[in-house]
Formats: sequence, C-alpha cells, structure tokens
Amino acid sequence: MAMDWEPLTLWASLVIYVLAGSLAIFGVVLRKPHEKAVLALLVPGLALNTVSIALRWERLGHGPYITMFEILLSNIWSLLAIYLLAYWRIPAIRPTAAVVMPILFVMMGWLLVTSPHEGHLPATYHTVWLFVHIAFGKLFLGNVLVAVGISGVILLREARQAGSRFARLPDDSRLDELSFRFMAIGMIFETLMLIAGAIWAQDAWGRYWAWDPLETWSFLTWLSLAFALHARVAYKVSPRTGALMVLAVFALAFLTFFGVPFVSTAPHKGAV
Amino acid sequence: MPENSSSGTGRRILTALASLKLTLVILAALGAGIVAAYLSATPTIWALAVPLGAFAGNLIAAVATNPVFRRKTALLIFHLALIALILLIAAGRLTYLKGQLELAEGEVFEGQLTQEESGPWHPRRLHALRFSNEGFTIHYAKGVRRGATRNRVAWMAPDGQLRRAVIGDQNPLVLSGYRFYTSHNKGFAPTFTWHPGSGAAPVTGTVHLPAYPLHEHKQAIEWTPPDSRTPLWVMLQFDEVILDPAQPSEFRLPSAHRIVVRVGEERHELGPGERVRLAEGVLEYNGLRNWMGYTVFYDFTLPWLFAACLLAVISLAWHFWSRFSARPWDKPSTGTS
Repeated sequence: MAMDWEPLTLWASLVIYVLAGSLAIFGVVLRKPHEKAVLALLVPGLALNTVSIALRWERLGHGPYITMFEILLSNIWSLLAIYLLAYWRIPAIRPTAAVVMPILFVMMGWLLVTSPHEGHLPATYHTVWLFVHIAFGKLFLGNVLVAVGISGVILLREARQAGSRFARLPDDSRLDELSFRFMAIGMIFETLMLIAGAIWAQDAWGRYWAWDPLETWSFLTWLSLAFALHARVAYKVSPRTGALMVLAVFALAFLTFFGVPFVSTAPHKGAV
Repeated sequence: MPENSSSGTGRRILTALASLKLTLVILAALGAGIVAAYLSATPTIWALAVPLGAFAGNLIAAVATNPVFRRKTALLIFHLALIALILLIAAGRLTYLKGQLELAEGEVFEGQLTQEESGPWHPRRLHALRFSNEGFTIHYAKGVRRGATRNRVAWMAPDGQLRRAVIGDQNPLVLSGYRFYTSHNKGFAPTFTWHPGSGAAPVTGTVHLPAYPLHEHKQAIEWTPPDSRTPLWVMLQFDEVILDPAQPSEFRLPSAHRIVVRVGEERHELGPGERVRLAEGVLEYNGLRNWMGYTVFYDFTLPWLFAACLLAVISLAWHFWSRFSARPWDKPSTGTS
C-alpha cells in the first residue's frame, strides 16, 4: 500500500515544531538556552511543512487559501518562516521564541481539530492578485508576530518570576525600537495587502471596496497599526505602553485573519 | 496691529489643527465611525465622512506648518499622497455609478439598468453606450459548483469598427470608463411576439425567468404584454436535468420544453412557433434563449487612486528605510528622531 506522505509530513512538522518550541520555553525557564538546537529543529520542521503544503497543492490543484484548515496550515508555515528568519538573523532576540511558540501551538492545536476537507475554488480566485494579496498579508502578520515576541519579553520582564529570565536581552528601550521597526515593516505590507486586495475585489466583485466584514476589520487593523506607530511619535510612549499597543494590534489582526471567516456571510470572507 | 493679530490667530489655529495629538484623536474617531457604520442597519456615511474630512484638514495643516516636512522629503510625499487619496475618494463618491442589467442572448444594451445607485455628480454617459450579448458558456464541476463564465460580447468601437471579446468573472468589458462584469445571475428567456387585438404593430421581446439554477424550481413569472391590461403567468416546463450534481455539466437550454401560459382560469401550453388567441391579442411563442446578468461600475478615480496608494506606500517605505538605516536598532538614540 502506498504511503500517504501529505499527513505524514504534516504530523512530522508539527511534532518537530512542538519539540523546538518546548526546548525554547524550557531553555528560558531553566536558564539553559539551546538556541542552536531550536534553530536546527525549526529548519527541518519548516521543510516538512513546506512538503506537506506542496503535496496538498498538487493534489487539489489550488493553493492553501480556501478552507480554514488551509488558512491555518499556510499561516503556521508563513509565520514560522518569517520568525525563523528573524531568529536566525537577530540572535539577541532568540529567547522571544518562548513567547512566540505558544501562539503557534494554539494555531497548531486549532489546525488539528479543523476538518481537512476540500473546498471549492471560485472562478474569481483565478487571478495573480490573489497570490499578491495573500503574500503581503502573510508578510504583515509575520512581522507583527516578531514584534509580539519582543513586546512579550518587555512585559514579562515586569513579572517578578519571569523578569530575570530575560535579563540577557538588550534593554527595554532597544527592544522597543526593534519592535517598532517590525511594526513599521508590517505597516508597509498591510498597506500593500489592502491595495492588492482592492484591485482583486474590483475585478472579482465589480467594486474595490464595499466594507464587507473582512474589509472592515482589515482596515480597522490598519488603522490600529497607524495609531500605534503615530502614538509612538506623538507621545514618545514608554516601552511598556508600546508593547501593549503591539499586542492590541496583533489581537485585532488575529481576529481579522482567523475570526471573521466564522461570522462572515459575504463572498469575501477569507475561508470559503 | 489688527492684520498681524488676525494672521497670528490664523497661524495658531493652523498649528492647533496640525497637532500630532489631534491626528490620534481623528484616527480613533475614524475607527469608531467605521465600527458604528458596520453595526448600523442604515447608511451612516457621515460617520466616515466627518473624520476623513478632519483627517484631510489635519494633514494639510501639518504639511503647511510642520518644519519636519522641509527636511524629510519622503514623509512629505507620504502625507501629500494621503491628502490626494482622501480627495480622490471624495471625488469618487460624488461621481460613481453602480448598477445591474440583464441581456438575453442577441439583445443589445441600450442604457437601461434594472437597479442603480450613483453619486450626485455622475456624468450620465451610460445611455450612449451599446453592446450586445452573443451568448455564454459556464461549466459546472460535480456538485453544481460553478466554473469560469465566458460571455461573448460585441460592440461598436469609436473608430466605427465592430469589436468582439470574451468577458467573464474578473475580465470586464470597459466602455468609456464603465466596467461591465458578468454576474452569477443568468437564466432562461422565452421569446414572444405579441399581436395586439387593436391592430397595432406586433412587438417581439423576451421575458427573463428567475435566475437558474438559483431558482431552479421557480421558473415562472407574471408578465403583462405591451398595451395590455391583463397579466399573464408564464412558466417554463421541462423534465430533463440541466445541471447534474452527480457529474460535471454545462449551462444549456433544455432540449425539449413547453411554455405554460395562464390567464385567469385559462391554461395553454405552447411549443416554439405556436400561438394562442387571448382576449386582448395573439401571443406567439418564438423559442427559448438564455439571459445573462451584468453589474456595471463607474469610478473615474480608479487609476489615480492606485497611483496615490503606490506613492503613499513607496514614500512610507523610503521614510522608514532612511530612518532605520541611519542607526542600528541596538545603538542608543542621539536624541533626534
């Protein structure tokens, strides 16, 4: 009997992600960081995740952007890929994996309880703008996730038990600056996502903007991001306030990406 | 002196209007307005228009008074692009048109819409436009899942040449800035010729039955012939399965059908070429065609909006790049922003 590689590679990638995340968390808790081991695990995990997505794509004839299962699967992949890049390129922030990986664990758990059934690809999805729109969205969320990891460390440092475990990271003002930079990059990609989405919507539904639930919440996310960045310039906010604003933006973005598909009945709802 | 005093007051008002903190209040008000409009059952355009107007004022005042824009070109371009965007959105809302229409196969669009909404300054050039529906194909996957729509259309170009194209889904027909898109609505259209009993000239036209397969089991409509006062109830009757859920299929006319006509207690069945004498004239059934629904959209600002958006995002990226590349993130700030 032929082996079904698609679920096998998916499960293998999830197990490796959980191992890497657990190692990162215990490394921070026990003050024994295993950052190179985490990196060495995340790379093959991401490779297997990529193979799993590619096999599903090949089998169904369309990318992972139709059902909630596919949206979770592809976002776990893209968030991990962007975080892995930051983890590799900025060694000083590697302990943030203890904040980021639990968020991804939630998404992985959600993926496992979601039906992997096949969805129908609407005719209006056969456009390059769909790929552009989705790619920018993933880049936006990935950059905000890195900022969330950094902001989580800023906030955890205030806790008596956890604070000392992040002592070797740069000071709060430096972390705040780095978090701001990731949010600024996120702002660029969020704006590009909205532009590409509007171009697609114009041709898919004959209007570029109609305030459907997903459009409304994605614009509110953009607005919250603009507010957070502008507040930092106008008020010189403290690292703690800046970190709280990053978390608020991420919560809104998460709700938009993964919550609106549950409540929307409009043609454009993220998951079909 | 009074002039200096008034210019000083004007300057203070402009400076207050340019406040960075006011920008935050406006962004929060815009967010609140969007949520209010989203939750409201009635149109609440002012919830968006007022904060956007205030935002434009805030941006213009900031560009006019804040010296940072003399030093940072990218930031200046970003703010100018935002101002342009708001003005273009306002211009678009004043001049846009959205509408719907239906055309039977072979029928020519003559400017009539079945539904329409438009801005108060819409230029009304739609009535001069003409194009014809030359038929369509739509394939369905198993489970009656609609595939691509391919609609053949023809129109007379400004140079007098007859042009043909295939439109459908995300490929519209664009005539004088009006974008005609095929919609998911389509159906069957019996064609009749009505011979009035008064001796007036016969009139031929189509009756568009409810959309198919959306209203698969309601293929009937009430219709009153021209110059008549008696409504007719018309139903398309056929036994075969057009779109089989068990296998891939294609939208097509039924191979055999009858038209049922009811007038009060009278009931008649007609095949193609048959006619029936009614109280106010003779109804002749010519045959069955299909009809396609279209949406039409006009907004002259579309390319300008795209250009302003691109300018805004490129200038913002340029601004961030020049700011971030000037100093590594892990080096202390020298006090300038």
